[in-house]
Amino acid sequence: MEEYDVPSAASILASVKEQEARFERLTRALEEERRNVSLQLERGSLPSDRLVGGTTGGSKQPLAWQQMVMQEQSPSNQTSLAMMQEPQEVVEETVTIEEDPGTPTSHVSVVTSDDGTTRRTETKDNVTNMKVTKVVKTITRRTFKPVILTQSKPSTPAPPSTPTPSETKPVTKMVKTVTTRTVRQVPLGPDGLPLPEGSSPLGSYTDSIDRRYMKNGERFITPQATSTLTRSYNNYSDSYNDTPDSQFRHYALHDGYGDVPDNYGSLSRGVNYRPYRPYMPTGGYRPENSYTLPIRKDDYGHVAQPQVPMGSSTVDLNRSQPERFQPEPYGLEDDRRSLGPDDEEPYDLEPDYSTANRRTLPGRTIREPLRNGPRMRGYEDPIEAELIDERHPYIHGMYPAPLAQPERGSLASLDRMGGRRSPSIDSIRKDPRWRDPDLPEVIAMLGHPIDPVKSNAAAYLQHLCYENDKIKKDVRQLKGIPVLVGLLDHPKAEVHRKACGALRNISYGKDHDNKVAIKSCDGIPALIRLLRKTSDMEVRELITGTLWNLSSYEPLKMVIINHGLQTMTNEVIIPHSGWEQEPNEDSKPRDAEWTTVFKNTSGCLRNVSSDGAEARRRLRECEGLVDALLHALQSAVGKKDMDNKSVENCVCIMRNLSYHVHKEVPGAEKFLDPSALQGPGSAGTQRKKNDDAGCFGGKKAKEEWFNQGRKNGEHDKNYDTLDLPKRTEPTKGFELLYQPEVVRLYLSLLTESQNYNTLEAAAGALQNLSAGQWTWSNYIRATVRKEKGLPILVELLRSDSDKVVRAVAIALRNLSIDRRNKDLIGSYAMRDLVSNLPSGQQRPAKNLEEDTVVAILNTIHEIITDSSENARSLITAQAIDKLVAINRTSQSARETKAASHVLQTVWSYKDLRNGLTKDGWNKTHFQPIAAGTPKGSKSCKPGYDDTTLPLMEKNQGNRVCSGGDLIPMDELGPDGYSTIDQRDKDSKYKSSDGSSDLQEREPLKNDTNRKHYIRSNRPTVSLVDACDVKPQPVDSWV
Amino acid sequence: MSFIPGQPVSAVVQRIEIHKLYEGDNLILGFSIGGGIDQDPTQNPFSEDKTDKGIYVTRVSKGGPAEVAGLRLGDKIMQVNGWDMTMVTHDQARKKLTKKNEDVVRLLVTRKSLEETVRQSMMQH
Repeated sequence: MEEYDVPSAASILASVKEQEARFERLTRALEEERRNVSLQLERGSLPSDRLVGGTTGGSKQPLAWQQMVMQEQSPSNQTSLAMMQEPQEVVEETVTIEEDPGTPTSHVSVVTSDDGTTRRTETKDNVTNMKVTKVVKTITRRTFKPVILTQSKPSTPAPPSTPTPSETKPVTKMVKTVTTRTVRQVPLGPDGLPLPEGSSPLGSYTDSIDRRYMKNGERFITPQATSTLTRSYNNYSDSYNDTPDSQFRHYALHDGYGDVPDNYGSLSRGVNYRPYRPYMPTGGYRPENSYTLPIRKDDYGHVAQPQVPMGSSTVDLNRSQPERFQPEPYGLEDDRRSLGPDDEEPYDLEPDYSTANRRTLPGRTIREPLRNGPRMRGYEDPIEAELIDERHPYIHGMYPAPLAQPERGSLASLDRMGGRRSPSIDSIRKDPRWRDPDLPEVIAMLGHPIDPVKSNAAAYLQHLCYENDKIKKDVRQLKGIPVLVGLLDHPKAEVHRKACGALRNISYGKDHDNKVAIKSCDGIPALIRLLRKTSDMEVRELITGTLWNLSSYEPLKMVIINHGLQTMTNEVIIPHSGWEQEPNEDSKPRDAEWTTVFKNTSGCLRNVSSDGAEARRRLRECEGLVDALLHALQSAVGKKDMDNKSVENCVCIMRNLSYHVHKEVPGAEKFLDPSALQGPGSAGTQRKKNDDAGCFGGKKAKEEWFNQGRKNGEHDKNYDTLDLPKRTEPTKGFELLYQPEVVRLYLSLLTESQNYNTLEAAAGALQNLSAGQWTWSNYIRATVRKEKGLPILVELLRSDSDKVVRAVAIALRNLSIDRRNKDLIGSYAMRDLVSNLPSGQQRPAKNLEEDTVVAILNTIHEIITDSSENARSLITAQAIDKLVAINRTSQSARETKAASHVLQTVWSYKDLRNGLTKDGWNKTHFQPIAAGTPKGSKSCKPGYDDTTLPLMEKNQGNRVCSGGDLIPMDELGPDGYSTIDQRDKDSKYKSSDGSSDLQEREPLKNDTNRKHYIRSNRPTVSLVDACDVKPQPVDSWV
Repeated sequence: MSFIPGQPVSAVVQRIEIHKLYEGDNLILGFSIGGGIDQDPTQNPFSEDKTDKGIYVTRVSKGGPAEVAGLRLGDKIMQVNGWDMTMVTHDQARKKLTKKNEDVVRLLVTRKSLEETVRQSMMQH
């Protein structure tokens, strides 16, 4: 889905209705259940007692219960569920017993044990329980869990109740942890709770439950959940009793959780409260992001991108991005609020259910859909206040008590089940005895035999880890990561989905140990396996998001390539790029779809493509990859849709793969340009002449621009003639990287894209391709000229983005290896190059980074080498002032050195000296500042080789290898592409310089339109596309 | 994802069907849009709530297809051919409107006056 399906309000409504219907059914089922329960309670009172008593006894009991259940509820296959519930009912009974500290045996710990070793754990629990003052209700439920386990997992041996020794061991461990924590109940809550619902005798009922689970999987708690919760409670108290209506409403409010509140209750609820919990620093809370309803994701992507700068420098932004990936619908409202009104997230939240629910509320109805955003807010605020009030009591007073976390839903549900209702629900809610599970418990629950428990635990983990490095670390240290990885192979979608979500969050961040931990337990192959297996978009997004995160750590890049390159290419890149290996004639060429999966995968490949020569080789040789990427980019250009992240990623991969093609590609030797041996700088002229002799006869007519600009006719005959190699068969694979055809693609991107990263990468690709001395780079350099790429590049020298300017400057330098290009660039680019230089005291209009300034200086040097004509235009461009100033005053040794080289070269043209002296310069200005500054001394060496070589090669050593997290950007470019500096918004466009340029250069005039285009956000070109020049409020004519 | 076009919002929403006009090779609708979730909502002069990132009609060309169809300056576009426009980026909205292969677009729009009406009717409730 390239676009995104936004659920329309209508669809929401429909789904709400469906839910309503389901709820009605449920309520009916509940009633029935109650009746059953009361029956069973009568019978079951004995068993419950036993349970409390001893471990062995407890284990046997479940069986008894099962039998009973079977008898009564046998009809559906879901018997297991039914059984489960029954026990719970019993539990409730025990609840009445409640406060005996000693009696309740089971713990959370038990639950965690999962293995089905239930009984044992319980006993131990007893011990531990002794310590804990209030255990009661949940505990009783736990005892029943074993039963559940057995049933839910068919695979588990029929008598799960008998614990194998091995199983018990883990359990004991668990117990220990538990004891220290004192918190028992919470964990129990989730397990026990789910069961009750499932227990309803009606077949249909169970079905619906299942479905509901699924839903949970998709979106946990919709943002509203919190708000709705409060409200629902109210309903409760009022009409709790059974008017189906009220119940229904309650459910609806909970969203997917609705019926499940009991089971999952603790988890979900916990989530809601999170912010207030000690675990979570408020900042960490933005699970919202996760809201991701699958549908929304696309939007997400779009939204997220602008916020995520490539550089890791801005922590917040970066952070938010990765997390954004999370599809988890966790959304806590609270978190979202913390984000502030500006955040897009509220929108995302909005999607379906929330609005739908709201709509169902009486009185809100129709209007809501109209103004979702605002509406929501209004809504939330009061609610929030409410919640806070309620919470405060525990937070402050009760919190110390381990059990403090309130479990509202579950209590309520209990009451319901028991047919007994506490007088004041509010009081229950505030009951401090309930709490969230702590981390070890959650991790233990990952191994719980009941799938929903696993998936909820994983989802909860994901939530906990969100933006919380401490928790991620804890999870790692508690050995949670291998368990999560293990869950990736779980057959149930909701389980592997949640596990994947948790892994994605864990894999995000600066703490590479987490990534390594995922890798060390074979998480990467597991992810790839799942990618191959699943067709669930959401899961795929999670997988690829995780891989993207992992790919930011250097040592993992090769691992990812080894395990996943071909799979990612085949499963994602190729299908989503629209490229077809063997297009048949009837099928129309497809466009690329910018799905989140594609974005993530391309981001991952982008990262791994920077790993070095071997990585590049692997990617180049990966079947279909280059073809698909090119196709995707071409389709982006065709659709004029080039500002998105996917395009950026693709271009970056292409750039990276273009790096050193002339050295690394198989068979490259054959294409080596013999003249290169002479040394690039000096040989330039002759070589060009040779090369240029050839057959592009009609070129000149096309090149008015250049013809007009040419100052002298010396190269008239030779320039621009180049034999492109004849092709016998269609090129494919990596050869596509350096075919002259790609030039047009990159130039289109350079012309049309507004995305600095894309611009930089496209310029970087040209830079890479035009580097080196082999036949193809000759072609590329000539093709850029023929495709009128030079003015496009020159134009971009005025870009506001530092790194774009840098990439373009270096590209121009490489292009000027071509003699004809050198002349043209000298004539037309000099002014723009010079205007990017800082001028002495007043630091420039643009505050360019050192790297950029050095790149520009080197480019200037390259241009004026062997061309006194260009040196002359350098002087005309008033560059000497600036160069001298840099040479004397710059704080940067590299800048000083580079400027000094330029000055020396200028001075070396004797015919220019006269004019220079007239302008008041003398020899000393052009000499390196020898004494005094240490920096100057180095530059004395005349043979600075930087200048002669294409930058690419030299900088290789410079490559920055870092990549902070999720910085898909890669250094690959010869110059360590670094973070963006956009400080200079006012830039050159305003400078008088710029405008005069236009006037002076006739030929360039044609391009003025384009200039505007670049400056403003959008084209003014035609009515169809035109828009305001003002950047912010964008208008589009349609 | 299935949807029932406009059903829940029908009370407040006006349907507008615009027949695109050929202008050269281009199909035009004759209005411009602003807004989107990637835009700064505070700069939207038409929204009541400055956090509303919806798509708004910012200009309507005189005598153009949009004006003929009844679209007005400041209308908020809720849907385009059934696609939700309340949570989309500017570009997504633009694309939905400018599909080359569609020469008719059906919009659901809302505007203050419509909402007003609804609000009143709700109060009477």
